[in-house]
Amino acid sequence: MLALNNVQVLYDRAIEAVRDVSLEVPAGAMVALLGSNGAGKSTILKAISGVLYQEDGEIVSGSIQLEGSAISGLSPRAIVQRGLLQVPEGRALFATLTVEENLVMGGVTRTRSETKEGLERVYELFPRVRERRAQIAGYLSGGEQQMVAIGRALMGKPRMLMLDEPSLGLAPQVVDAIFEAILGLNREAGVTVLLVEQNAQLALQVASYGYIIENGRIVLDGPAEKLRSNDDVQEFYLGFSGGERRSMRDVKHYKRRKRWLS
Amino acid sequence: MDFLLLLVSTGLVSGAAYGLIAMGFALVYKSTGVVNFAQGELVMLTAYIAFSLSNTFHLSFFPLILVTIPVSMLIGLTLERIFIRPMLGEPVFAIVMVTVGLAVILRGVTIMIWGSEPFNFTAGLSNDVIQVAGVPFYPAQLYLIGALAVVSLLAWLFLRFTRMGIAMRAVAANETAALLVGVSVSRIHAFAWMLSAGIAAIAGILFAANFKLVPDLWFQGLKSFPAVILGGMDSVIGAAVGGLAIGVIENLAQGYVGQGLREISGFVVIIIVLMVRPYGLFGNREIERV
Repeated sequence: MLALNNVQVLYDRAIEAVRDVSLEVPAGAMVALLGSNGAGKSTILKAISGVLYQEDGEIVSGSIQLEGSAISGLSPRAIVQRGLLQVPEGRALFATLTVEENLVMGGVTRTRSETKEGLERVYELFPRVRERRAQIAGYLSGGEQQMVAIGRALMGKPRMLMLDEPSLGLAPQVVDAIFEAILGLNREAGVTVLLVEQNAQLALQVASYGYIIENGRIVLDGPAEKLRSNDDVQEFYLGFSGGERRSMRDVKHYKRRKRWLS
Repeated sequence: MDFLLLLVSTGLVSGAAYGLIAMGFALVYKSTGVVNFAQGELVMLTAYIAFSLSNTFHLSFFPLILVTIPVSMLIGLTLERIFIRPMLGEPVFAIVMVTVGLAVILRGVTIMIWGSEPFNFTAGLSNDVIQVAGVPFYPAQLYLIGALAVVSLLAWLFLRFTRMGIAMRAVAANETAALLVGVSVSRIHAFAWMLSAGIAAIAGILFAANFKLVPDLWFQGLKSFPAVILGGMDSVIGAAVGGLAIGVIENLAQGYVGQGLREISGFVVIIIVLMVRPYGLFGNREIERV
């Protein structure tokens, strides 16, 4: 469905944020993109959605294809109209608008009747959001905001959804609810999902395939269960430490291995 | 008491003009983040255009308004296209400087075409005094207050209930998120310029009808600034209310303290507002959850 080929992104024509990133999200799949802060995950999503220019970023080489046709260079609106929507990092709601206005904006590329249907669907998926529909979005709790953010993206009738750290700053219980909804969308509604996460544990449980990105490069990829059992992933992303604390010497050892991985 | 009533009522009239001009400022600022320093010049230019239209076609007030508004909207759209659109992505400060330049250009063009002599421009309104609650008004004065009320109501309905209006507020709240749901932000910017030029036309015609048509009309733009600050830069309705308040404050200052204070009282209000409530009376305080 979505394919990136050797994408390189520069900010300010000088700072390389993403280098030679290739990844593929098959239709109907849920793929995870993992990495720590500043690894380039959000940059990749911004590049796909066509909003890099806002931060003086630019795709200098490589291609991004949605269902076989190139989408780099299209306006963000055109990309949304093709059914590729993003739930941005940190929710990014329209804080001063009401919850319902936020959702209505999510359907801005759709017809009025589609928007009406969409509202019903979102309210059904998240009954909590229905209760809060008349409130100012900025005052909701983090979990409710995340629900609104996902709901807003659903209003655009996505065939593919990109979620940027949906678990960020949420209580574990709330995270479970959110992930259940995402899984439901993927399995039942058939929405293709690209899930960007820092929480690798969680992401590798729900996704079928994973990419690990470091310093703007993909350093490792594979089926989720294979990644879960990979020693390095366990050590550095899943937090298993084999019972004892590692010393700095082992960390250095990893640094050497990392070079091999890339 | 009569003196007070008179001061307040004439204050409301000039305040309505400030309010209309300030709404134009707020509309553009809200959706583009740019203070359009050429707003006053747009008011002046559209007043002159209305003057020529009315001389050529001998229109009465309402047809004149109906003809001038689309013309000025087109001008707003064109100016945005030529001067502002190419600046997209540049720092806000640079764009603001472009509007300052644009202001000077519009002033020059206006004087080039119509000269700097004042004109009497009635905009098809009569000069018969009308008594409202014992206070005498000229029709032009009442129309000005009425125009502010109508435009405010329309603006409120537009921003609250139409998709385009909600999109405008969405762009103001979070531009990136607006792009990500598929709002065409550049279209919203163009639309904001168009609407504010339309409002400028109403302000220009009625201001000229109340006073005189002189190139100095552009200065009303700067004088409306306290109204925008008072209402909160990003609140269109706040700008209208702020305009009325500033108009009354100015008149009271002039009536009870002295002529000189009229000119500065508005700016005194700015300073006080910025110290006490920097986001204005109606502006959005940044909503931040910790």
